[in-house]
Amino acid sequence: MRKKYFRSVFFILMIFGISTTYSSFAQKSYEFNRTGNDCFIQFICYKQDNDYESRKHPFIFVLGKPEETAQQMYEKDTLKNLPQFFGYMFVYVPNRGGNSKDKLYCFSAMVSNMTDHFKYGHANLFLAVFDSEISQADIELNNMNMVFKSIRLYHSQKDTSLSATLENVTDDFKETIINYDIENETEEDLFGTFYVDETQVADMDEELAVPQKTYFGAPSALNYTLTGVVRDKSTGEAMSFATVHVKGTNIGTTTNADGFFTILKIPSDTSVLVLQNIGYTKTEVFLTPQTPKKGFIIQIKPSTNNLKAVNIISSKEEVVLVKKEEVSVLKLTPKKLEQLPNIGERDIMRSFQLMPGVSASNESSSGLYIRGGTPDQNLVLYDGFTVYQVDHLYGFFSAFNSNALKDVQLYKGGFESKFGGRLSSVTEITGKDGNQNKFNIGADISLLSLNVFAEIPVGKKFSSIITFRKSYKGFLYNKIFDKFNSTNSSTPAAQPTRPGGMAQQEVEATSYFYDLNGKFTYRPTSKDIISLSIFNGNDKLDNSTSFDAPSFGNSSANFSNNSTDLTNYGNVGTSLKHSRKWSDKLYGNTLLSFSNYFSKRDRSNERTVTNSSGETTTNNNGVFENNNLKDYSIKSDYTYDLLNFTQLQFGGFGTIYDIKYSYAQNDTSTVLDKKNKANLSGVYFQTKIKLLKDRILFLLGIRASYFETTKQVYYEPRASLSINLTDKLTLKGATGKYYQFANRVTREDILTGSKDFWLLSDGTNVQVSSSIQYITGLSYETNSSLFSAEAYYKKIENLTEYSLRFNPSPEGVTYDENFFTGYGYARGIEFLAQRKVGKINGWVSYTLGEARNHFDIYSDSYFAANQDVTHEFKIVALYEWRRWNFSATWVYATGRPYTAPSGAYEVELLDGTIQDFFTVTTKNGLRLPDYHRADISANFKLLKGEKGDKKRREIGYIGFSLFNLYNRTNVWYKTYTIEDGSILETNVNNFGITPNVTLSLKLR
Amino acid sequence: MKVDQKLIFTLSILFLTIIASCEKKETIAFTDSPIIESYIEPSSYFTVKISRQTPFTSNGQFSDDDLNNLSLSVLYNNTTHTLIPIGDGTYIDSSIVVAAGDNYSLSFTYSSKSVSAYTYTPSKPTNITQSVTSITIERLDISGGPPSGGMPTQPDPVLITWDNADASYYLIVVENMESTLDPIRDFGDNAPPGNLFRKAPTNAASEELRAMDFQYYGMHRIIIYHVLPDYASLYEENSTSSQNLTNPSTSIVNGYGIFTGLNSDTLFILVNE
Repeated sequence: MRKKYFRSVFFILMIFGISTTYSSFAQKSYEFNRTGNDCFIQFICYKQDNDYESRKHPFIFVLGKPEETAQQMYEKDTLKNLPQFFGYMFVYVPNRGGNSKDKLYCFSAMVSNMTDHFKYGHANLFLAVFDSEISQADIELNNMNMVFKSIRLYHSQKDTSLSATLENVTDDFKETIINYDIENETEEDLFGTFYVDETQVADMDEELAVPQKTYFGAPSALNYTLTGVVRDKSTGEAMSFATVHVKGTNIGTTTNADGFFTILKIPSDTSVLVLQNIGYTKTEVFLTPQTPKKGFIIQIKPSTNNLKAVNIISSKEEVVLVKKEEVSVLKLTPKKLEQLPNIGERDIMRSFQLMPGVSASNESSSGLYIRGGTPDQNLVLYDGFTVYQVDHLYGFFSAFNSNALKDVQLYKGGFESKFGGRLSSVTEITGKDGNQNKFNIGADISLLSLNVFAEIPVGKKFSSIITFRKSYKGFLYNKIFDKFNSTNSSTPAAQPTRPGGMAQQEVEATSYFYDLNGKFTYRPTSKDIISLSIFNGNDKLDNSTSFDAPSFGNSSANFSNNSTDLTNYGNVGTSLKHSRKWSDKLYGNTLLSFSNYFSKRDRSNERTVTNSSGETTTNNNGVFENNNLKDYSIKSDYTYDLLNFTQLQFGGFGTIYDIKYSYAQNDTSTVLDKKNKANLSGVYFQTKIKLLKDRILFLLGIRASYFETTKQVYYEPRASLSINLTDKLTLKGATGKYYQFANRVTREDILTGSKDFWLLSDGTNVQVSSSIQYITGLSYETNSSLFSAEAYYKKIENLTEYSLRFNPSPEGVTYDENFFTGYGYARGIEFLAQRKVGKINGWVSYTLGEARNHFDIYSDSYFAANQDVTHEFKIVALYEWRRWNFSATWVYATGRPYTAPSGAYEVELLDGTIQDFFTVTTKNGLRLPDYHRADISANFKLLKGEKGDKKRREIGYIGFSLFNLYNRTNVWYKTYTIEDGSILETNVNNFGITPNVTLSLKLR
Repeated sequence: MKVDQKLIFTLSILFLTIIASCEKKETIAFTDSPIIESYIEPSSYFTVKISRQTPFTSNGQFSDDDLNNLSLSVLYNNTTHTLIPIGDGTYIDSSIVVAAGDNYSLSFTYSSKSVSAYTYTPSKPTNITQSVTSITIERLDISGGPPSGGMPTQPDPVLITWDNADASYYLIVVENMESTLDPIRDFGDNAPPGNLFRKAPTNAASEELRAMDFQYYGMHRIIIYHVLPDYASLYEENSTSSQNLTNPSTSIVNGYGIFTGLNSDTLFILVNE
């Protein structure tokens, strides 16, 4: 009953506001609330410079004698025009009579309103009281000391006006010089003033404990430290890397991986916090003196579940967020992923590939080619452990099941000292902890895979999530796939030249994968989190083909070709992490992890040749590869909020690498057999400094690592800077040195397609690689749009490639000599134009890039690196209509370079036989055709509950997508087989048009 | 303000489209590099044969150079000799009679590129010995099924030795010198082998010729070549699989083929029935 009453009062209050009644001369008259309200105050403001909009000036509030109106006070006052008080705002508050409490009632609320909730503190808020009935005790009782810096009681009957105590007054009300922030947001509720009774706040629903509107009472704390945690309202999931800032200021922070945040200098405890996270409704939290100052739990709602548009406060609805302050950082949560077109699976890595600087023309790799870097130069951390292989199904999907993920951050370059061991970039993935409130289960079924998850909380302290996904080639899949793919047929095109004819054959890829994720989280106290995360993924790829054809060239023979191409690879990873908030200022975590990547590859050819006289000969040769990597790690990371503008980050790490690789060309002779084991350990230290009211963010760090094999210490100094030139324009820059100890070495294979394998640096054949990065960028961001440009230059030393194309010496076969060391660089510029709001939103991006390598063995000059893409253009458009989400993407990229056999020649040997030899083009001298592709998708939200039902909610969606809409034949790579001096060229193509339907359901 | 943003957005798209459409192709499908074939052997004239590769692409462009009208020169004994074309891509300098230990630097321009190669003639094999001068191999006739009483006993291999202190490469080629070939065994449906066989290049100081190596009866010539590593590497390529397109290591710059010196000695062996 009482609650209802307050609610109705609240609503009535909501519609009352301040309205200008009249203005005469320079003063202005205002009303706070409306006649009849307990809090009705009719007051007059006066400012010499006539600027009534700004809040960046001192205020002198004047409370008159009993029975005195504001107008009378205003007229009487001679102080208001003194030059000392130029720029001050005088506020004349009438004496409403009654006892002292009545007279001061709502005074603080009015002041709060006038000063935008004490946005600039109370250093320049003054009160002059002329009512002799109000004593110092009354002032204290009514908490006025918290509201005003200085309060002057004029009790002498003689003091008829302020001017009587002129000398003292100018001293008492002397302005304190403070730096006023730039207001970077329109304060939409600036004049939508609402009064909230303190008792009402206390009575509010305890579970929510969050007031719905601005608190206008007196603050109880100014410039205080607030710590808390941000959670998903429906699942209790801690929100990683969500931004929290004080409305109308630059003061703010980002939650850490466990959702904790600390803001050291909140102006007042009546401020408003703004919370933002991708896929979540932008939430404003109205602080009150009753709000906990430690361990404050803020809950935010997923925006996909929120169908009532009225509740959305101009939220930024990006699918991928470009972080404003940090250099080259992208953030994504799986919440919005379903809106992008997909082929079977929502995929985080694929989504990043739609952003500038991340190459999109790699259907065959979920690994990210970032700014001319290779996927192995991108560190992928999943709940703290390193994932060495992120591909499923030829890279068509990433190894990460989006149902298991909470948040992904991509650092495209210039990353912090916390991360190391990679040359280019970092992808930091945080898994879900699981619903902490209720049991939940869900499933996605698409034409390609089945994906199920269960979230099981036990008590208040334990939560868990298990997800499983497996691909299948079902009936529908095959039917649709075959219908749209007629490229299976071979199209031989003979060029009858001796010895080099050429024929073409097409291959489509087939296979399956599965993955399993589990995360178990235990929170023994509000300060501790212990979590165990397990990941297992496995792929079996069968690309075997069978081919029968007449031969080309001079031979009149026929041949058939059975090739086995079987690859089995996968990951096992696990981490055990303990996070603890030691104090308001110190937060740390320690992590133990294990990661294993294995890959077995058998690519062999059984070739049966039938010659003109009907004789058959069979020969067998191939490639047998085995790569096994184990990584045992321990690391500790700490952050310490030293001062309100400085944060220290430090930690230590240790990793034991155990990497094996063997390569054979037939099952008896091993070409290469490498086993390396070494320890890498070190420390890092970084300081994050915010200057000029948080408008400048400066990071300076150093990382030192000791590598057992080379017995050397590697120092990596790094720095980054971001300057908010205006509230919309940000200038950024970063530089740093990076080392990489475990590399993915490319094994050049012109005939069957180059492959790569993990190898630990041995200090001789495979060197420790290093890079230096320079990044600079500019971004212009408004509430609705973002324009950004970033330029990068990356110099890389000690790249390693393995090639059997060259025989350094004919003295025996020491294949270790076939490792070649080179160097290279990558440079480019990225542009992004993004529209963040509106029915149609999305982005356009363009990257101009260049990646060049230099290996003496290949060429005397720089050549295009395998991953080099000159132009890359992407457009993503999203449209929302009722319960439908539509999206369309188009990507265009310059074809990638490749090397091919270019010709043949023969040499007559001393024994009279003729030997054929083949020549190849200059290294990467050819380009595949340009890559382009359009995808579209439509999703329909499934709701539970009747229309108008308050508890109506989303329980899933049906999604339709068309991948490669106009069935472009994009070449993945080419393979060649040499037979009787003829060359058979095979284009291995990426997928043609592929439709998909996904049904996604969840309990809650 | 809103209009401005829309304008910027549209202009950006336009700008990016224009940039993206400016595509520059940089594909080099085929490089016309010459093939050099030259074995420089003492007591013969200095000859070089130049030929072209066979391109795999139909649009492979050859240079305008005439294979029979190139300007080849060889630096020998500190004098530059210009080679005379004699047709079919072959060039000769009849003033140079090759001798052991001589150095040769070949150079010419082809397809606007400077092609060069270097080699020398190695020493004649020394201290050659052969364990026997004749060998008896039983005729093998399997037309009537496998022989009863097991396979006939094989004679001991012929052992050939020479001096090889510096572990350089030697190649043994054995040639039947009879005008009519008398096969040792029935080849069945298979095509009869040629009258030549060779052993793999070796850097040892000996080689064995096994009874199984011989295909025909009669007088054989055993040529022991002292070869250079680049020649040996041609066989190296042959011994591994061709799938890696291994380029034999040669001294040839901007070209392919073989430009190598060699020296030989000859022995004889009679194969009896």
